[in-house]
Amino acid sequence: MMKLSRRTFSGLVGAAGALSAFGLSGCANAPKVVVIGGGFGGATAAKYVRRYMPDANVVLIEAGKTHFTCPFSNTVIGGMNQMALLERNYDVLANKYGITVVNDLAVAIDPVTKTVKVKGGTVFGYDKLVVSPGVDFKWGALEGYDEAASAIMPHAWKAGPQTVLLRKQLEAMPNGGVVMISAPANPFRCPPGPYERASLIAHYLKNNKPKSKVIILDSKDAFAKDKLFKEGWEKMYDNYIEWVPAAKNGKVTKVDAKAGTLETDFEKFKPAVANVIPPQTAGAIALATGLADKSGFCPVNPNTFESTLHKDIFVIGDACMAGEMPKSGYSASSQAKVVAGAIAAMMMGDKPAAMSAINTCYSLLAPDYGISVSGVYSVQDGKIANIKGAGGVSPSGAAYQFRKKEADFAGGWYASICQDSWG
Amino acid sequence: MKRYLVAVPVCLGLAFLAVPAKAAPINVMADACSGCHGTDGQSLGAMPGFNTGAPDAKSNAELKKLLRDYRSGAREATVMDRIAKGYSEAQLDAIVDYYKK
Repeated sequence: MMKLSRRTFSGLVGAAGALSAFGLSGCANAPKVVVIGGGFGGATAAKYVRRYMPDANVVLIEAGKTHFTCPFSNTVIGGMNQMALLERNYDVLANKYGITVVNDLAVAIDPVTKTVKVKGGTVFGYDKLVVSPGVDFKWGALEGYDEAASAIMPHAWKAGPQTVLLRKQLEAMPNGGVVMISAPANPFRCPPGPYERASLIAHYLKNNKPKSKVIILDSKDAFAKDKLFKEGWEKMYDNYIEWVPAAKNGKVTKVDAKAGTLETDFEKFKPAVANVIPPQTAGAIALATGLADKSGFCPVNPNTFESTLHKDIFVIGDACMAGEMPKSGYSASSQAKVVAGAIAAMMMGDKPAAMSAINTCYSLLAPDYGISVSGVYSVQDGKIANIKGAGGVSPSGAAYQFRKKEADFAGGWYASICQDSWG
Repeated sequence: MKRYLVAVPVCLGLAFLAVPAKAAPINVMADACSGCHGTDGQSLGAMPGFNTGAPDAKSNAELKKLLRDYRSGAREATVMDRIAKGYSEAQLDAIVDYYKK
């Protein structure tokens, strides 16, 4: 059995990409689809375009050699899992699905010549382009919080080294230290994420540093699944989690990373560990291409996710504005299938099918305590909206067995969606 | 170095020739389910799979009844009751037929 080293493999897919860029691929007239971003949205889009259109020439451009998923990264921060659980690679997409994986950063899109340029210099032509870059941070929008500050006060809102840094800080913190999480205003990636994080940090503290606690300083007065979180916190973390809403001056207005301080309008705090989740926009490539509007996110046709600003470019995932669909990995993956179906139909001269998508997100409050939110979406009055009567959150006041079952399903969910996106 | 040279044709072959045998039907509504239940219903974990090879695989008719019961509320679930209500009975049947093709 021959083994290819990762370096050899990357070099080869790079070469394959260069070939297709110069029109030397096997099928001269095959539809050319380029996908930017190898997260849940981009990986799923590339895979499903090939499923629906096996003759398509699909190029997936992703800067990272591997991807660390944000879902389940809070379990690493809480000490339940290791980073290896989160790591996905592109081998199956390349080898089984015949996708040309280009390990490089997309730096420029030209919507007129319909080309994408990567940092390494190669230019890729496309018939249809899927842009799934996720979010980037608005450095400086929260006074004092820039990229340098994030090396001291991690955001850990993109999984990877930041996740490890936050975990290490929690481990190094003395028993009795206070952890503060600064949660941003809407919209942002993974609306229940800060509260799942607080829960799993509290779980760690309760078992390892019982004199410590987590304080959430929030820029909002309500949050995703808030009733269910509060119910679980009352049961399990009464002395471990404190949530300070905007109405009670929870909004952090200034950060001094070197001094280790967080400020609200009236108070200044110096926690042992500060986790600052900053305001966000669509990923840089979307902004640079003029795919975003003043909100910092990308308006799209709700039926197809084609940009309303540039033809033949489709924006999915956290970067787009998808009506009532939340910014989540499941949303991105479900939107990717809508786009793959729309592109396949368009390339074959058919009309795209009606938009239909799902979001299902689990949050863990403890290893054996899960809650969920779900939605089923269609286009209603020209906007993506949840179908009336469908979706919603887990029931309040459910028995332990119910929460335990949902925690088990959370693990099953993670295994399945990773397989569906990268495997 | 020799190994590298041997690896070239193999990998290029994979990149260009590993084409799925035929196009999967475009069924965006049904494929939305595979986020939880796995591509083609081949769930890896705690979520029930639809694939016929699974030891506890349900038949086409059993699955249709199950989904209709989740939709009507006749059967309780953790989340499938909330999701099934987003579809008509005919749509649920069509989704089952897609996975059980």
